[in-house]
Amino acid sequence: MKVMRRIGKEREKYYGYLFVLPALIFMLTLIGYPIIYNIIISTQKVDVMTIRENTRQFIGFSNYIDLFKDGLVIYVTKNTLFYTIGSIVIQFIVGFGLALFFNMKFRLAERLRGLIVISWMVPVTVTALLFKFMLSPSNGIINDILMFFNVVEEPVGWLINESTAMWGVIIANAWIGIPFNMILLNTGLSTIPYELYESASIDGANVFRRFIYITIPMLRPAILSVLILGFIYTFKVFDLIYVMTSGGPVNATEVLSTYSYRLSFTIYNFSQGAAVANILFAFLFVVSLGYLALINRDEVM
Amino acid sequence: MKFFRLSGRRKSIFINVIAIIISCIFLFPLYWLIISSLKPNAEIFQSPQTLFPRQIQFDAYYDQLFGPNSIIRPFLNSLLIATCSMIVSMLLGIPAAYGLARFKMRGSKIFILTFLITQMLPATLVLTPLFLIYKGFGFLNTFLAPIFSDSTIAIPFIVLILRPYFLSLPKDLEDSAKIDGCNTFSAFVRIMLPLSYPGLITAISFAFLFAWNDLIYAMTFINIAEMRPLTAGIYHFMDMYGTEWNKIMAYAVFLVTPVIIIFIFLQKYIVSGLTSGSVKG
Repeated sequence: MKVMRRIGKEREKYYGYLFVLPALIFMLTLIGYPIIYNIIISTQKVDVMTIRENTRQFIGFSNYIDLFKDGLVIYVTKNTLFYTIGSIVIQFIVGFGLALFFNMKFRLAERLRGLIVISWMVPVTVTALLFKFMLSPSNGIINDILMFFNVVEEPVGWLINESTAMWGVIIANAWIGIPFNMILLNTGLSTIPYELYESASIDGANVFRRFIYITIPMLRPAILSVLILGFIYTFKVFDLIYVMTSGGPVNATEVLSTYSYRLSFTIYNFSQGAAVANILFAFLFVVSLGYLALINRDEVM
Repeated sequence: MKFFRLSGRRKSIFINVIAIIISCIFLFPLYWLIISSLKPNAEIFQSPQTLFPRQIQFDAYYDQLFGPNSIIRPFLNSLLIATCSMIVSMLLGIPAAYGLARFKMRGSKIFILTFLITQMLPATLVLTPLFLIYKGFGFLNTFLAPIFSDSTIAIPFIVLILRPYFLSLPKDLEDSAKIDGCNTFSAFVRIMLPLSYPGLITAISFAFLFAWNDLIYAMTFINIAEMRPLTAGIYHFMDMYGTEWNKIMAYAVFLVTPVIIIFIFLQKYIVSGLTSGSVKG
């Protein structure tokens, strides 16, 4: 009996692999292998001509060197960082504010907070079109509102001007990201024991001090993960910008992912498209490592 | 903000009203989406805009349903892609989550890490190589390409969200099921799965929505107009009829409605998915 059970345990070990391997192989085939393939492509000359003739020449780092000589990739990287940081700052501040607000105990708190999450669920394609419409100079409601409050005197072509286009896409992205920040921070807030605030106020700490000395430190893990995840999700943006501006006007909103897409699928320079995607990957990789270190320390895994 | 206690009925009403106003402002774009789809296009081009249509009409919807570029076909394409992708990712993702939760095996930490990392990677990273790979297999311009690629978004999510669920179920349950004659597999299907249904509902709805909302894979791998899902369809529609905003918004309503329906029924699960899926990773 004991022996049988041991054999059973031995077999159990392999059951685990039976359950896990199909998914793992699927992911390695469709994500893992392409990542490696992407690196290979970026060191070759792959375009419409070479694909037709089925000859791919190894050209080392030429694709990367050409990209940096051209210089656009540097501008695009700056755009991506500006877009990411701008979006994160706005959605974090507003999301935090809403999280604090909805953490008050009032009747509609939970229901309305849940309702706000809907903007995070809406297909990004729709959000992009909707904001493109609302920001349009000829019939955009946002211009109407701004003119009503005398913020601007005449309609602004938000997505048409090079100087404002980036802010247009940042606003749209913030609308998607705010609920995400709000919910995560709200969950963090709800774990702070009420007694802490109580004893602090007995000790004479006012609202502001309680916020600085209790809320912020207690919320640190939630804040960090919201910021890092926000960075990862924002940095890789594609749909939103592609639909709203396609990277225009004159590259003003071009980010790494749309640039990579344009190189690969508009001018069919697959190897340079792959190279840009790898630059994007390098950024995300570093940040992801930071995130993994963070959750590993918090022993969530 | 537990800094001060609410006292008095007045204050409570005041805060509720403020909350409603905030929510209305925040959700105004969705109101605008629906309202604009009900206006004649001439009214949309009036300045200043009318906050409520002077005359409600459903012409834009009629046009999208029965006009020359009917949305019925792309709607069915979206439904097909999202459903198949949901099934593929459930079939692969649920057992993987269970395996990682229930069995001690070498490398399980690396497996979890793999799923965690793949979840964070952008589609753009694998787009060019996948295009060339699919091209080699003749998968381009078939539904298989977006179905497979959309599943790669959902599978890591499912694994990461369900594993804690399976971990929280008592191991004794499985053992007693086995004494009653179940093997590992049937214990998993008959006992463990039904017990973790809240997690399963979250996982299923997200698996569907990821594929339903996808634009980049569908747009890149499918080049035949009749095979486009709604997301790619509306993008092309905008390209052709860029100023007919009432029609574009009506199209968008068709794209958003299933999402809203899922959201209304499963709000609790979706909010929980948002938190556990991303915080715990």
